[in-house]
Amino acid sequence: MIIRWVSEDGKRKWLYPIEKDIYSHGKIIKQVSHKAKIIGITKVNIPSPLHPIIPYYVMLLEDEYGNRLPKKTMKSRKIGDVYEIKPATSNGAVIITKIKYDINAYLKESLNLLNSYDLNDDDKILIKPSIIEPAHPYQSVNTNPKILDAIICHLKEKGVKDIIVAEQSMLGNDTIASSKKAGILDVCKKHDVQFVDLSKSNFIEKIHDDFKFNIAKEVLERKIINVPVMKTHTQIGISGAMENMIRVVDEKTQKEMYTHDIEKTLPKLIKTLPGFLSIGDTTIGMHGNGPTYLGEPAFLNMIFVSKDPVALDTVFTEIGIFEMPNYIKIAGIIGAGNNITKDIEIVGDELEASKFHLKIPEKNISAHPNIELIDGKANPYIFNSALKSTAKLVGLLGSKMQLVIGSHFTEDMVKGKNRLVAYGNDAIKKIKDLGLNVVAEIPDDIDDIEKLMLIKSILENPDKTKLDAKDKLFSKIGKIGTKLKQSLN
Amino acid sequence: MYVKGVGMTKFGNLDKSSQELCYEAASEALEDAQMSLEDIDAIVIARGDSVLDGERQRLFMSVISSILQKEDIPITQVMAACSGGGAAFWDAVNSNNNNILVLGVEKLAHIPTKIVTEDLMMAAERIYEQSEGLNFPAQNALIAQQYINRYNVKEKDLDLVALKNHDNAYFNPKARFYGKKITLDMIRKSPVVASPLRLFDCSISVDGAAAAIVTKQKTDIEVVGSALYTDRLSAFESEDMTSWQSVVLAAESAYKQANLTPKDISFSEIHDAFTPIEIMSYEDLGFAKKGEGKNLIRKGITKLNGSLPINTSGGLKAKGHPISATGVSQIYEIVKQMRKEAGKRQIDNTKIALSHNVGGAGSTATVHIFRNIGG
Repeated sequence: MIIRWVSEDGKRKWLYPIEKDIYSHGKIIKQVSHKAKIIGITKVNIPSPLHPIIPYYVMLLEDEYGNRLPKKTMKSRKIGDVYEIKPATSNGAVIITKIKYDINAYLKESLNLLNSYDLNDDDKILIKPSIIEPAHPYQSVNTNPKILDAIICHLKEKGVKDIIVAEQSMLGNDTIASSKKAGILDVCKKHDVQFVDLSKSNFIEKIHDDFKFNIAKEVLERKIINVPVMKTHTQIGISGAMENMIRVVDEKTQKEMYTHDIEKTLPKLIKTLPGFLSIGDTTIGMHGNGPTYLGEPAFLNMIFVSKDPVALDTVFTEIGIFEMPNYIKIAGIIGAGNNITKDIEIVGDELEASKFHLKIPEKNISAHPNIELIDGKANPYIFNSALKSTAKLVGLLGSKMQLVIGSHFTEDMVKGKNRLVAYGNDAIKKIKDLGLNVVAEIPDDIDDIEKLMLIKSILENPDKTKLDAKDKLFSKIGKIGTKLKQSLN
Repeated sequence: MYVKGVGMTKFGNLDKSSQELCYEAASEALEDAQMSLEDIDAIVIARGDSVLDGERQRLFMSVISSILQKEDIPITQVMAACSGGGAAFWDAVNSNNNNILVLGVEKLAHIPTKIVTEDLMMAAERIYEQSEGLNFPAQNALIAQQYINRYNVKEKDLDLVALKNHDNAYFNPKARFYGKKITLDMIRKSPVVASPLRLFDCSISVDGAAAAIVTKQKTDIEVVGSALYTDRLSAFESEDMTSWQSVVLAAESAYKQANLTPKDISFSEIHDAFTPIEIMSYEDLGFAKKGEGKNLIRKGITKLNGSLPINTSGGLKAKGHPISATGVSQIYEIVKQMRKEAGKRQIDNTKIALSHNVGGAGSTATVHIFRNIGG
């Protein structure tokens, strides 16, 4: 698609989505074309970090209005050939779209390329963004409000009236506070669309393969548009279309999904849920130590759209040149979707021409440089709590220590680590099962401030091999002091 | 305005930091002008401020203040990618100061090629070009293809541009390819970087600094024309990709100021970042009619012994292209030629010279015209 913003008199054309002609103060007309001729092509043999795979080609396209656009391709083509993007022919197709400034136009174009996805006036739509913690849109932790805005605009244009936006944040975070900071509530307000906190929903039990999922009622009653942010994930590799659906189940189910190994239970959840459309928000995207604010914005300017969340995540894995996470492989095996890249129909921009090395997550990373987080696939509540605690200790110099979380860690993962702290009930049980020594056990049910004080005392004291009564007393006093201060404020 | 002195480091892989290179070039220019730094009342510096060059240094004006021990004058910085040097010189010529030191510097040689490629790519449009793989060779390859196909320019014409500029650099002690014999066979057999451009069609990224002192006081070299024009960033946006409007407008303006025509130019330093761009520029600067630039190279008109020598220094192609230093180094060459100090590459007719410096694919262009009034 080539778009130009043209002045009413046709004298001037802009590459950028401007709203008014700065010369005549007149209106702007959008010139859109879907077909172009190849008027030039070059084969490029030098790599760069943005374009690491060579050789590649860059075509110069020209449309019926004489508007031009360079387009990367891995295929050799001829000058004079016609370049046109054909719609998908299969239900499991993944649409890849590189956005050129106008999110609304490129989202619309992406949806038009889908195979048989109809919207009706009487559809009841639930948009499920990804809003895990309070973070600004530019941090790319949560779904970009611009893409939510574009989706709602598109739905309204199609006559859809019954739209809700529904989400629950990562366990331990406040959904409304997160959605407010993420700019999501502003979009809902702008469009007069209700925001539903799924943590307060009624849940309906669904069983798949002996696993019980308590799924939010709204999710089962409405047509779902899943809008994950495409990110890296220190626990499971990437978080995208599949991972975003974890938060449609209740807290108990989420915790159990992790206790029973999230890599196995997530594919089951996807298979249990009714079919849904996913719009992978890669307008910014995240790489490095995602999915929280510890990751870095990737500035990808893309959207992925698919009715197959497994295929969509597979495509993202390929684009970032990541190793395929286990849960995506398992999803393919149990038939939750297609994870065989060569069998996925790619529509729009070419997969191979969109690849570049995204940063993979570091191992054992926490917010504090001296605290290793050894993750045994801990549930989001513990993962979030551990990250928050370590973040609060940043700036306090200390000695190396390790927080072990979750239950799916092996002896090898903790071998040689002599300042282990078992953080959370799952880790405490596993450590006991393995017969390992720890400096401290911090169970789920103690207060966050107490947890923090205990970690602090270990961090500050390199000789500490066990928490003593004094540490525990100080952590309780610390908790009382903080609560008192809060109540006075 | 006049040019009183020039200086430049050797272009190549240099150990010194950017500020040390500037110091060296400035010292030479001051000595050449028989001036003291005390006489300078403003400095304009061109530098890219790359985040990838390893120096990680912003506010370079103050670094220059520090190394030159100069705290009592205005120092400003110009960032205009490859046209930085020309733009800094334009700023100096159009300022109200009496004696201005113009500096251009860049450190690139120690950076891996793929990182330099990425860094230079940042002067292309982010969403439309960078994300679609348009690095500088690819961008210029697409332009060259349009030009070559429309005007029947042959690959061997491009080879002749590379050969000429390498022949000239052979005699330039400050050039990256000084004393290195490059043959037509080597050029023809060089690998394709971005088709149709081969390695020897591309200029080489190097380290280097150049300096010039612009003054109101009459000297042997007068700046009779000085123009800078800015066009859109994306070359594919222009109606005619085979002509750069910024260059055409800058040339027209500079000729008008000088009350001269292209026929009056004795020799020229042209922005040959890629060989087809040199031929295209012959036309944009008025040295040849549209589509006839190729004849100048075919007939040897632009060689050292031709009637219009172009890039006697070796050009960006063979002298080297330290981005922001290039535009100032062109003026160094013009001054050396006019003063008959160009050694074995000395040409006879040095009455009027033109320098042409471009940033991006015609995004910013400067044209300066110099008159030799020293005899």
